[in-house]
Amino acid sequence: MLTLIRAPSGACAVLALLCAAPDAGAKPIAFANGTTVMAEYGAGTMLEGQAFYASTYWLSSGGGYVRFNSDINPVNREIAYLRVNYLAKRWNLPSAQANIFVWGGLGSAAGNTFDGTRLARNVGAQFDYETRRVYMSAKSDLWDCSEFSQRVDTMQFGFAPYAHDYSTLATWFVIQARNYTGQIRHGVEWAALVRLFKGGAWIDAGVTADGKPQVMAMFNF
Amino acid sequence: MKILKTALATLLVGFALAGHAATIEMEVNGLVCAFCAQGIEKKLRAFPATSDVVVSLEERLVAVSTKDGQDISDEELRRALTDAGYTVVGIRRETESIDAVRDRLKEASH
Repeated sequence: MLTLIRAPSGACAVLALLCAAPDAGAKPIAFANGTTVMAEYGAGTMLEGQAFYASTYWLSSGGGYVRFNSDINPVNREIAYLRVNYLAKRWNLPSAQANIFVWGGLGSAAGNTFDGTRLARNVGAQFDYETRRVYMSAKSDLWDCSEFSQRVDTMQFGFAPYAHDYSTLATWFVIQARNYTGQIRHGVEWAALVRLFKGGAWIDAGVTADGKPQVMAMFNF
Repeated sequence: MKILKTALATLLVGFALAGHAATIEMEVNGLVCAFCAQGIEKKLRAFPATSDVVVSLEERLVAVSTKDGQDISDEELRRALTDAGYTVVGIRRETESIDAVRDRLKEASH
């Protein structure tokens, strides 16, 4: 039986102006009245930290910091931001769940190609589908300010060698394809990751196709 | 007459307590990861009447036991899980203790 839950539409308007940043496949809202803290090292190209509090299962807010180092030229960009995440749609199936998240925020951008800081705007969206053995997600994130505009698109496909339960360690093997625009990187960056989580702790670790490490850790409490 | 009234009242209270299930089990859709379970457990433990909670992803089952003489209505439970982002497709009240449910789930997973 397919069950649909639609989040209240009133919160949509809040999002229109706000911005976001990518993470490595995790949901931007874990659960109601929960705090999520996350850090990611993305193969030297991206470094990010975030903290969010979810007042309901369909809305969270918080802030973060993200830094991009171009693989193409000696350009770096960093943004400190405030962000709101909104669950636009959830499908609760008997043994699966699918979600559409959108998010937005405003930030302060700096970089080595311009002086001072600029107002940065960002919007993003994510679709994910998950059973206890299969996971897939597609996500797009746009950062924009007067000095640069760039997007990070990430797709992940994961499979679990066994079906985990609440009290057992979950193990996933994840293939990731990520594309950076805005002179950050040419071509798709492929990565193979091992994902482990239990209770409120989650870690992704792996390498990209060119041998660079990628690590993400997340804690929900 | 007074003795009769007291006996009747005792009987009524006894029947009322016997009517309370030891464990309330809910079949839930969308229960696929530990974070789901964590959120649901947190929500259910917030009820003052809750004594214990068990979540099984394998069985798509959420079980809650209440403190002696206390209860949580089906409506409250359904609302709590809906507010947590999940869909309750069935609620049943069992006489089995929550420890027995936990043991049963453990055995089923082996």
